[in-house]
Amino acid sequence: MRNENTTLKTHIRLQLDRFDLDVNFEASEHVTGIFGVSGSGKTSLLETIAGLRQKAKGTLQLGKTIWFDSENGIFKKPEHRDIGFVPQAGLLFPHKNVKANLLAGGIRAKRKGQTLTDIFDHVIYILNLESLLLRSIDTLSGGERQRVALGRALCSGPRLLLMDEPLASLDVGMRHKVLPFLRRVRNEFDVKMLLVSHSPIEVQTLCDDLIVLQEGKIIRRGEPRTVLTDPAVFPLAQHQGFENILSCLLVDRGPHTNIIRLGKEGPPIHITTPKINSKRNETFLISIPAHDIIIATQNPAGLSARNILQAKIQSIQTVGNMRLITARLANDVPDLVIEVTADACEELKLEQGKSVYLIIKAVSCTLYENERED
Amino acid sequence: MDSTTLTALKITLHCASLATFLVMIPGTWIAYVLARRDFPGKNILSAIVGLPLVLPPTAVGYLLLQLLSTEGLLGQNRLGFDLNILLTWKAVTLACAVMSLPLVIRTARVAFEGVDPRLESMARTLGHSRIKTFFCYTLPLAFRGIFAALILGFTRALGEFGATVTIAGNIPGKTQTLASAIFTAQQVGNQTEAYFLLGIALIIGFVAILVSEYLSQRQTQ
Repeated sequence: MRNENTTLKTHIRLQLDRFDLDVNFEASEHVTGIFGVSGSGKTSLLETIAGLRQKAKGTLQLGKTIWFDSENGIFKKPEHRDIGFVPQAGLLFPHKNVKANLLAGGIRAKRKGQTLTDIFDHVIYILNLESLLLRSIDTLSGGERQRVALGRALCSGPRLLLMDEPLASLDVGMRHKVLPFLRRVRNEFDVKMLLVSHSPIEVQTLCDDLIVLQEGKIIRRGEPRTVLTDPAVFPLAQHQGFENILSCLLVDRGPHTNIIRLGKEGPPIHITTPKINSKRNETFLISIPAHDIIIATQNPAGLSARNILQAKIQSIQTVGNMRLITARLANDVPDLVIEVTADACEELKLEQGKSVYLIIKAVSCTLYENERED
Repeated sequence: MDSTTLTALKITLHCASLATFLVMIPGTWIAYVLARRDFPGKNILSAIVGLPLVLPPTAVGYLLLQLLSTEGLLGQNRLGFDLNILLTWKAVTLACAVMSLPLVIRTARVAFEGVDPRLESMARTLGHSRIKTFFCYTLPLAFRGIFAALILGFTRALGEFGATVTIAGNIPGKTQTLASAIFTAQQVGNQTEAYFLLGIALIIGFVAILVSEYLSQRQTQ
């Protein structure tokens, strides 16, 4: 969805406590991710774009609208920037109920000539908020709060949606439940988004373009998967490592497990996953951590792991003491990334073009509800 | 209960209410500025508005007396006309207002500081101006604390003695308040009267503190 009218041109310098934020980028894709460890300047960047930091220098422009130009003394106030901000902790207004929170930014949507009821109904439908409308804020769960915060931002009719780690305040189980809503918003709303995150799953499932910030500077940029496996970026994911995210189809439901299929054509590649309640022939996203995949040079036997897949090694990258190996299962399936130690790589004499077996435990796989992108 | 006692009670309630009303808007505004803005001299402003809390009330009264005397900054010779405040109910109100202002500011400031500034930022990004954000978000969120502040200010005004006596005197039926009536009753040895006045002061004070505590607690939850 490249559109010159909604390209965000950002050139910002801002003094922070430990370093200077100094970024210069143009975001023209639908969802641009900003990835980095905590304290890398991500939130400061979002706040500057929203107009909440006044000491920045530089320029900021969305489409043809100039929001900020320090040299020419232009500073549009935050209320005039047409921004929806989804903060980490929800920050809902405690003196209003859910419906009043959602409508808090309605005035701007109206001022822009949009029909509030249309947006409102659409937001409620997409985020499944109908049953929450009359609830007071302090009765909501963490996940519900984030959905309302997302809805509140969308109801204000924004041209740019800024999301500051929208899932970071939630526990892992809740993240799995809220992530599909973010994907729905992404697919249903024609609004440019900037997503700040330090979660490899979020950026891979939501972003078209990924910018990596380190100490206030952009160190890498590009397609999320490629950027995340870059030796300079991979260590930043720290204990989370890299997640292989693939789209898949649920083909069979056993009594204790499900079976999904990767790829659309060619010989089927099946993976056994933990059981979730869902219908057959639905599409999902499957997530497999790179460090949970075992490589074997011979077909092993007598394993508790449910999945043994044949693959061919495509490339080997060095990242510190680890090796990132990409392996191909089939031509129409994205390559899997596997993280192994340098010793393992050497001992097994792994090299490009070598045929190997990938061993994946069913419990290492996580399924996410997927929205059809049509 | 004789009529001077009743008048003293009336004057007290009347002047304390009026003083609270006078202090309400400037007190809230100064509290907000102290809680939210950074500017040079903020600590000095904070100290100045806090002064009546620590100075002897008679000292504050003496300062006001100097201001309002014929030669003072707000006196007849400077202004060209007489404000006619000294030794009237207006002087009682002024003394009450000056003495309760710091308490109102301090308590309301805490109330404003208890509102997450990020909520205000959210309101701004949703299209609300700074002024609208203040009235529709900050003020309602801090309302309980501000109300508690006003109640405290009111009770402080009810009990004001030193400054009041200095600029308004202790004229029965005219400027005599609950506090000065108790003082007079004690001086002339009228124990029944003193106990009666003490009882009224206790009841009003107790209820006011109770309500104020209740409101402050509800806000912090």
